Amino acid sequence: MYNREIRGPLVLGNKNFGQVTADILKPLDTPTPRWWKATFGLALLATAWGFYAIYVTVTQGIGTWGLNNSVAWGWAIINFVWWIGIGHAGTAFSIFLLILRQKWRTSINRAAEAMTVVAVGCAALFPALHMGRIWLAFFIIPYPNTRGPLWVNFNSPLFWDFIAISAYLLISLSFWYFGMVPDFASVRDKATSRIKKAVYGVLAFGWTGSTKEWLRYEGLSYILGGIAAVLVVSVHSIVSTDFAVSVIPGWHTTIFPPYFVVGAIFSGFAMVMTLMIIIRKFYKLQDYITDSHLNAISKILIFISLIMGTAYATEIFVAWYSGNEYEMFTFFHNRITGEYTFQFWAMVICNAFIPQLLWSKKIRRNLSIVFIISLIINLGMWYERFNIVVTSLSKDYLPSSWASYYPTWVDVGIYAGTLGLFTIGVLLFFRYVPMIAIHEVKSVMHAGENHTKHS
Amino acid sequence: MNRKILVGIFDTEEHLVAAVRQAREKRVAIREIYTPYPVMEAIEAMGKKSRFTLAAFLYGLFAALGVLAFLYYTSVLDWPLNFGGKPSSAFPSFIVITIVLTIFSVTILSLFTFSIRAKVWPGKAYVLPDRRGTDDKFVMVFDKDTLGQDAPAIERLMKEKGASEVYEKEESSENVF
Repeated sequence: MYNREIRGPLVLGNKNFGQVTADILKPLDTPTPRWWKATFGLALLATAWGFYAIYVTVTQGIGTWGLNNSVAWGWAIINFVWWIGIGHAGTAFSIFLLILRQKWRTSINRAAEAMTVVAVGCAALFPALHMGRIWLAFFIIPYPNTRGPLWVNFNSPLFWDFIAISAYLLISLSFWYFGMVPDFASVRDKATSRIKKAVYGVLAFGWTGSTKEWLRYEGLSYILGGIAAVLVVSVHSIVSTDFAVSVIPGWHTTIFPPYFVVGAIFSGFAMVMTLMIIIRKFYKLQDYITDSHLNAISKILIFISLIMGTAYATEIFVAWYSGNEYEMFTFFHNRITGEYTFQFWAMVICNAFIPQLLWSKKIRRNLSIVFIISLIINLGMWYERFNIVVTSLSKDYLPSSWASYYPTWVDVGIYAGTLGLFTIGVLLFFRYVPMIAIHEVKSVMHAGENHTKHS
Repeated sequence: MNRKILVGIFDTEEHLVAAVRQAREKRVAIREIYTPYPVMEAIEAMGKKSRFTLAAFLYGLFAALGVLAFLYYTSVLDWPLNFGGKPSSAFPSFIVITIVLTIFSVTILSLFTFSIRAKVWPGKAYVLPDRRGTDDKFVMVFDKDTLGQDAPAIERLMKEKGASEVYEKEESSENVF
């Protein structure tokens, strides 16, 4: 397999293996750049604010949030779904492209997986805090206990969510980590300082690159890849059932699972694009993250954007076609028009219209515009979750219970905190870990030449 | 006393594969091959096969059955709850949990299997004949004692097939600390 050249060279600059190792490990050896320190400082400030907001939440309760009796789910759930969505890209990239044997994934998957792990960690924070008494969070773990003995409700999507996210965090973490083991060995064997050799030596698990190791390593990659592909689809389907199994207008639809999965991959790919452009720009890795790579992501974004647009249109059509007055009201008087018009149209414009600009080759080649579009998509995806959560809850069947929703500074603080945490995670990744999967790039760098047959 | 080994260093995968093929034709036992990325032909040449996928399938099968049994026990036998008269044995709503927990179990068990079978774990002492094997060289190692009188022939073979260096050394393991 792997004998045809479709995309042009995956690595530019006619490099040899030694240069690949040296190029990718360079950021680990060079002094920390100033922009890194400045961004890290800002991220620390945001995180500190986030921790203070968490402190207030834990000590005073979730009454400090902007929730009310009607809108009992607010920013916490919006941000949770948003982060989980972003977290989908890493696995989607690695797993689906691994299964489809797309070699261009090799320059990008490491960063995407790192992003996944950090994003899922940020996501998990929200439901944990939303429990109110976080010190009782262990109640959700099903084990024989002294409280009844009462088991958790295995029929509840909220419990499914807990299990799904735990599994997702574990599998994305292991996929990411084990992907790095051979590269840690490269760092260890090139290290000149004893401390570095010891640290990366422990991380490398005694890896040597023998056939015995590679044989099992390939087996592990495909096993994890195969099962994680199912997991990626199921995790966000489960997140969507949190909404879809309820009877709230605007939530009770069968389109939700695919709509959520595609939306998640959309925001995740957009975030991958953002990070890739940053890595390219600041670490000068243009030879590995080539224009062709970014072009491929742009094309995927256009395609997913079309699916998103279709999903929005389908929801509106079904609301009208069902003849259900509550659904009609939610979509036509509380989204397209009404109190939350801005959020609805922000979602449509950011997710369905603006990405269409990427049809133009000229725009796809202008990385500043592509960078801005990738940020706009993530903004749009945030608005999508706002639309789903807030509009449906604020005005349901009983007009006397209608209420508007406004976040408090605590909501904003926790969100800013997770943005800070995410940035810190990504920066640490940039600084201390090989950003590109060295061994995978080496295995595909002669792709297209007749003699390469390894898979 | 440490074992003596004959180490061949190759710059490209093609040279390594050519040497591997020749060594196999001559039925010489290769001790190990170290490569910076997986080279299928080298793995096959070592005659190693893995039943990892079968193991993972069995983990999945038993995990799925185990989870279903657990859900049945908790929701039907031990503490049935009445949700508006719905049946306690709600198989369709057990499916999601079963899938996810099966994946969870297969992941953990596969990681342990990998660690044990490939013999990699944190802080493990390792045998790496040439450090360039994790960077840009392909390293082929023969056991000098097993080769006996064939050693010079093998040395020649590797050089003929494009080895950039061939040398002898004593095998030693390295500690992380």
